[in-house]
Amino acid sequence: MDLLDRYLLAIKKHLPFERQGDIVAELRANLEAQLEEKEAALSRPLTQAEAEAWIKQLGSPLQMAAHYRPQQYLIGPAIFPIYRHVLKLALSWATIIYAIGTVVKFIASAEPDGTALLEAILRVPLVVLYTAAWCTLVFAAIEYAVARGCIKLPQVEHFSTLWSPGVLPSIDQQAPGKKPRSFAQAVTEVVFGFFLVDWLLLIPHHPWLLMGPGAVILDISPYQLAPVWWQFYWCIVALNIVQVGWNLESLLGGKWRRPQPLKPIIFKALSVLSCLILLNARDHALLVLKHSALDQAHSGPSIDVINLYVYRSFMIITAIAVLQLAWDLGRMSLNAYRRHAAAMQ
Amino acid sequence: MALAENLFENLRLELRRGCLTLAVLAQLRQERYGYTLRKALAGDGLVIEESTLYPLLRRLETQGLLASEWREEEKRNKRFYRLTPDGEQIFAQLLEEWHAINVSIQQTINTTVNSTH
Repeated sequence: MDLLDRYLLAIKKHLPFERQGDIVAELRANLEAQLEEKEAALSRPLTQAEAEAWIKQLGSPLQMAAHYRPQQYLIGPAIFPIYRHVLKLALSWATIIYAIGTVVKFIASAEPDGTALLEAILRVPLVVLYTAAWCTLVFAAIEYAVARGCIKLPQVEHFSTLWSPGVLPSIDQQAPGKKPRSFAQAVTEVVFGFFLVDWLLLIPHHPWLLMGPGAVILDISPYQLAPVWWQFYWCIVALNIVQVGWNLESLLGGKWRRPQPLKPIIFKALSVLSCLILLNARDHALLVLKHSALDQAHSGPSIDVINLYVYRSFMIITAIAVLQLAWDLGRMSLNAYRRHAAAMQ
Repeated sequence: MALAENLFENLRLELRRGCLTLAVLAQLRQERYGYTLRKALAGDGLVIEESTLYPLLRRLETQGLLASEWREEEKRNKRFYRLTPDGEQIFAQLLEEWHAINVSIQQTINTTVNSTH
């Protein structure tokens, strides 16, 4: 039967080379016996349509051949839990090391540049991607070696005998993010969030709300805040509105008890990005003269010095915030590691 | 609905997977080749697709539970399978386990039914 021959030939192409002949011969014997029985029952050969329907029911050649191959994994179930654990650690530490390296480079540079810092932050996804790719590649190689018997994995039972319940962390040592928030705490967060947004929105009309007596000093001085502060201001307002929305959604959705370890980290990262707006101000001009033509001669030199100090201060604040972010990320991954280790044991 | 059907199908396949090996080992206490084995299983109500059964025979042979030989029958070369001594031993152990699971599940079902009435 031509169709069966073609079917078997197609299967053969997908079979392991050293067993092709043997498997196809066995399949041929079985399928021909089945075909003979079908034809005997009908007292005639199968029509083309019937033969096609029968072969179709057997499954595609690729599908049939795949069953003869040993199960193949890029990273198999024996190694996968270790891979996932190592990947999490590698991603966390790669981000932390990269963040620290970037901050050190930024502070140490003779002329710190906000654009360079922004570019470095935008490169974070690439660092994460490279780390994940390398980690996956190494574990795929381990899986390949284990599957071919080149190396042997230690037995899971061996780890089980090393573990003792005494090493379990006490309740007090559990990560604070794990403690469920109370309803009162969730409501308070939303209410204060609204107040904070209101306060922020009032600041442009009543600067003393932020600067106190400094607002009066600024008012009578020849200086004023540069327009870049408006971009920073609206970023902070938007950030707080999003935070209030997030908290409100958690409260209304009944999810306030759920620990949200990522939330503070996300908002901290967005705050750092907002600070970059100030660091990117043209010529580091965070303060400008109200009447540049009139005051240039008298206050021009002093404003450059003030701007330099204000800019440096913001640079240090941003660097501290980045370090805090890296610390939080490290702590979160350590907590995740502890939880994972406890679950594994 | 499709989700429930998929879920049922996945669970059904999972449930069947171990049982198929047991059924194949049980049938191969008597020597058979692939197609007659498939027919015998289908006759007992256990329909197995060709793409599942024939590769399964190869795997069980690799594991040392089955032995095979090519022999001519009705003017056609066929590969006949039978249980090896190791296969017989494992089959006996699996059968015992199967009976124990069956009894336990039946007891659990009975207990649940009695407690709900």
